[in-house]
Amino acid sequence: MRHKLSSVDPSKKWSGPLREYDLVKEIVVAVVVVGFLALSLAALFSSPDEKALTMQSWSIQAPADFVQTAASELAGTTTSASYGPPYNNNGSGQNIGPINPAKISGITIPIDPAKSFVIEPLAIEPDSTTKSAIAVWSLASSKQEITWASAYSDALTKDGKALALADPTGAYGPVPTLVTALYSMAQSGALDGALTTSDTTLPTNFTKPLLFLADSGTYFPDKAAAQHLSGDQWGVMNETGSWPGQSWLWLYSLWYQIEPFKSSGNADILVMSLMGVLSLGLIFLPLLPIISRIPYWIPVHRLIWRKWYQRKS
Amino acid sequence: MVRFLAISLDHPAHYVSVGPFSVSAGNLMIIISMCVIFIVALFLPFPDHEKASKKSERVGGKR
Repeated sequence: MRHKLSSVDPSKKWSGPLREYDLVKEIVVAVVVVGFLALSLAALFSSPDEKALTMQSWSIQAPADFVQTAASELAGTTTSASYGPPYNNNGSGQNIGPINPAKISGITIPIDPAKSFVIEPLAIEPDSTTKSAIAVWSLASSKQEITWASAYSDALTKDGKALALADPTGAYGPVPTLVTALYSMAQSGALDGALTTSDTTLPTNFTKPLLFLADSGTYFPDKAAAQHLSGDQWGVMNETGSWPGQSWLWLYSLWYQIEPFKSSGNADILVMSLMGVLSLGLIFLPLLPIISRIPYWIPVHRLIWRKWYQRKS
Repeated sequence: MVRFLAISLDHPAHYVSVGPFSVSAGNLMIIISMCVIFIVALFLPFPDHEKASKKSERVGGKR
């Protein structure tokens, strides 16, 4: 028999069956069982302990990729440089129709990659050649800076393996000196410290090294792909090594694998909006015309409360 | 510090891929386990289910 919610008088005392339920007992049992399982599995399988990727490991393991990315940061052609809010004004950010949350929140973490990732860290170096190169760079116009850095970035990318290139005509300006100095700084480990302590005394803010690493052409993407952590590998569901990951995020990940989300520049905001709509559908499920009939077609609740239904019939 | 007890999972995972779907062996095991626990919970009564039902169920709201 189907009861409409509106036909139930909420002021009337419940006249159906009652059952004692020891909630405290259930909570104690749940905490003990889950605690025992968590501790046992932690002892048995341990936990992921992947070494952090650093500027130092990047410059040692993929030096050509590091210097190419450093030159691209100076040229302003990396993802960070053209990202837009919250870092800079060089991109529009993602939007859904007229709504652009990134623009609404504005630039809250100002980052100019050339300055933040290259010039500022190098400014703490005592080397006079580096200081002269920084002075030449700082006195040049923005157009000149981009011309030098783009020419050097293109030449490094074209070569593919070179860590530095000669500049007999002066077409690269101070860029080769700056990139080589940054490369040396990265190899010594000093760049990691400089990037994490440029805004705070304690090295707790990893925004800059993470953005710089994410601009990497091959090193960072290859590391992610090897661990099945890339977006097209359902990466958000996975964990490093063979540990199980966040399988409950499958529905978020699914949309990124199919069109139109897969190739959309607004994929993140589209997927989050779609999940918002689906979540609203879940909340209002009893009010949805066809969906609300599913329990009558697939009566799982009758299986759970089978004794009650047996007695009732 | 309990490495001598631990089973190392610190090696590349196995992945099961069907069309656009790809799931790691670890995730698949967790998903299958959850489904099995759900089905078992549907059919398996609690140990004192029968006793508790007879003892506490009353019709008419009188206890």
